Amino acid sequence: MRILRALVKKEILQIVRDPSSIIISFVLPLISILIYMYGINLDFVTVNIGIKNDDNSPEITRLVNSFSCSKYINSEVSDNMDYLTEKLIRSKIKGMVIIPNDFSNRLEQKQSADLMVITDGSEVNTANYLQNYILQISNQWLAASKYAQFVSPQIVNPQVRIWYNQDSNGYYFILPGSIAITMTLIGILLTALVVAREWERGTMESLLSSNVTRFHIVLGKYIPYFILGMLSMIFNLILCIGVFRVPFHGSYIVLTLVSALFLFTSMGIGLLISTVLKNQFFASQIAVGIGFLPALLLSGFVFPISSMPEILQYITRILPPRYFITFIESEFMAGTVLSIAIKSSVFLLILGGLLFGAVYRNTDMRLSHD
Amino acid sequence: MNTVTIEHLTKNFKKITAIDDLSLKIEKGKITGLIGSDGSGKTTLIRLIIGLLLPDHGKISVLGLDPETQKDELNKKIGYMPQKFGLYEDLTVIENLRLYADLKNVPHNFEKLLEFTNLKKFQLRLAGALSGGMKQKLGLACVLLGSPEFLLLDEPSVGVDPISRRDLMQMVRDLISPETTVLWSTAYLDEAHSFDKTVVLNQGKAIYQGKPYDLAKTTEEFENKVIDLMGGYRKTKSRIAENYIPKNSDVEYTVVADNLEKLYGDFYAVRNNSFKIKKGEIFGLLGPNGAGKSTSFKMMCGLLKPTGGTARIMGIDIKEDPEKARANLGYMAQKFSLYESLTVKQNLDFFAEIYGIHDKNLKKRVDEIIDIFGFSETRKQKSGELPLGFKQKLSLACALIHNPPILFLDEPTSGVDVITRREFWNHIKSLAQKGVTVLVTTHFMDEAEYCDRISLFYKGEAVAIGTPSVLKKKVSATSMEEAFMKLILESEK
Repeated sequence: MRILRALVKKEILQIVRDPSSIIISFVLPLISILIYMYGINLDFVTVNIGIKNDDNSPEITRLVNSFSCSKYINSEVSDNMDYLTEKLIRSKIKGMVIIPNDFSNRLEQKQSADLMVITDGSEVNTANYLQNYILQISNQWLAASKYAQFVSPQIVNPQVRIWYNQDSNGYYFILPGSIAITMTLIGILLTALVVAREWERGTMESLLSSNVTRFHIVLGKYIPYFILGMLSMIFNLILCIGVFRVPFHGSYIVLTLVSALFLFTSMGIGLLISTVLKNQFFASQIAVGIGFLPALLLSGFVFPISSMPEILQYITRILPPRYFITFIESEFMAGTVLSIAIKSSVFLLILGGLLFGAVYRNTDMRLSHD
Repeated sequence: MNTVTIEHLTKNFKKITAIDDLSLKIEKGKITGLIGSDGSGKTTLIRLIIGLLLPDHGKISVLGLDPETQKDELNKKIGYMPQKFGLYEDLTVIENLRLYADLKNVPHNFEKLLEFTNLKKFQLRLAGALSGGMKQKLGLACVLLGSPEFLLLDEPSVGVDPISRRDLMQMVRDLISPETTVLWSTAYLDEAHSFDKTVVLNQGKAIYQGKPYDLAKTTEEFENKVIDLMGGYRKTKSRIAENYIPKNSDVEYTVVADNLEKLYGDFYAVRNNSFKIKKGEIFGLLGPNGAGKSTSFKMMCGLLKPTGGTARIMGIDIKEDPEKARANLGYMAQKFSLYESLTVKQNLDFFAEIYGIHDKNLKKRVDEIIDIFGFSETRKQKSGELPLGFKQKLSLACALIHNPPILFLDEPTSGVDVITRREFWNHIKSLAQKGVTVLVTTHFMDEAEYCDRISLFYKGEAVAIGTPSVLKKKVSATSMEEAFMKLILESEK
């Protein structure tokens, strides 16, 4: 017990003296949350469009005006087609609406009238959005205009309600998910260097010739970085809930328990890398590769797992962030769903346990000469 | 009574046989010196004895235990100081001591150790910020905690000045009990000569076991005997010097330091450093660790900007035109500063290129260097895998590749075995005879004798300058080592 306490104390002193682990634990989450909050915005942003109106009837002028009513759309009216085309090419506008000169005439004669909509297909999402927007605005205008009488009334009228995230705020689900990504990276990065460091500096040789056992070495690494990782987790949550006001509907106790399990698994990955490689440079490279990309791409955070090829879906099952992302998103937005919490915990516990075993087995108690 | 009994021990690494059918006894209660050339298997042997490595064949018994199966038991009885001292550089002196006391389950009672090591004042300093000599003392203090029955020290005195070495020896002798066995690996033969027993290793075999005094009565003779045992050293004409093409110049004093000064905050790392070195002279910079030798060196070759004064290389002011001044220099740094992942030839190619040798000339020059330095067999090996002596030779080759008129060598022989050291000095002296000016630092006092003149450095200032015989006469000393100690003591007053 005294040996373990001494090793933990030593590690904590090293953490305090070495700014890099503090930076990883507290500055990295801050930067990452800011990026996810402001940099990656899945919500609609203001889009510029151009309008060329060849029809001078006053009713149509109202239609042109209503295109600018949305706070998400800025419209510019111009008669010069070349000018608008040039702007589209330069990506100054994302689309344009051309109203032909017989537009109102045809409507007056109860004929269907064509409206030309051009969108910039190089940004598919924006193009789709614009298309829907223009359709919606023109329908609204039609319903309020004097031509409304020519249109047969709609029989089905869908009433749309959004549950769990009433305001459709993207960052309400991005931020909790981002915590999972950040914590994967932190858990792995913090620990990937620490065993390799002892080998490189030659201190491992001293430890191995003292009374230290394998158990001491492994726990002596797990305990201090677990404490630091949990502090970092709390910091993440404070930023998320306290500063950015993401609504939290779950239970703090459940959240803490599952987070602890998650940290235990991602630390296991880092320690395994460090224990096997014994080289700080190599370990840090691998840690970022293993820690960040799969967590981001294969965890279901960015792309839904159900739409992945089957083989990738199997691979996601061994990724700890997969379970944690499901859990933390539902914990934040829907409150504790016991079945999800239990399933995630069981998987994380199994993965963490296996990793711990692998770290323990791979901890050399002698020098294996290369 | 024997602490260690080894019978027919063999250990291979891939294709290399590190220990070859070795049988050995280490007597209880004695200090045994372990000497041998680089790559002779000293470190491997120590690691095998404490079970950090496992043997391929043969039997080892240490304190009646088998290191293979009873390592945990054995660990409680030994103290092992690895080559890098095994200290945590980001912990303070006292934190290191506390950690190792806890690991050995002994009380936190460091008064005596701190007193002996003179580290009391530096308790709160980070181990990484200590000088080489102090680190070594702290490393030893950590190992001595819990009074181990068997102490194993792997080259504790590499790169350490004579005063610190003497202190270390004193510490070991004072702090161990008469029953304690010590195995001390060293490159200093004067050290080895003063021990009770000596084991000379060569290519994984023990070629001598016994009392050093039986081998030779004096240190000098002992050195010659050890060299003979290792296959002998035949002084040949230095081909490196033979192939050196001197540059014509009429500068009389090729290296001049003019009141060099380096100030860090309010601490003078170097001050009032002035000297003039003639063409073809070997000028030695001596002094304890941290005295400012390396700082002076770095300023003189323009790697560090002096805060006052200046230096002139071949008459060129290093402050005014550092690049032009540097082109006249061959510099060999204290730490191995070549690319470890490149092969011998690739390193040579690279350094030739950056010194402005190109195309046909480059190939010709590199082939020539490979030939005269004897790298033909190792040319395709990664330089990081070479034994230390070879690495140092490669560093020298890279420093000489552009035929510089001046050589700066910062501890070129640190950690190198005695035969390689002799070879090295043969080259240095022969080069000087051909007109190369050499500025060299060293901790080996026998090497100091080879210098034409010496500047003794202490606490950032030159306390004495002169030929070795003048310096010895000044304090009526019989050896350079004695002169060193006396001169430093005198300057303390």
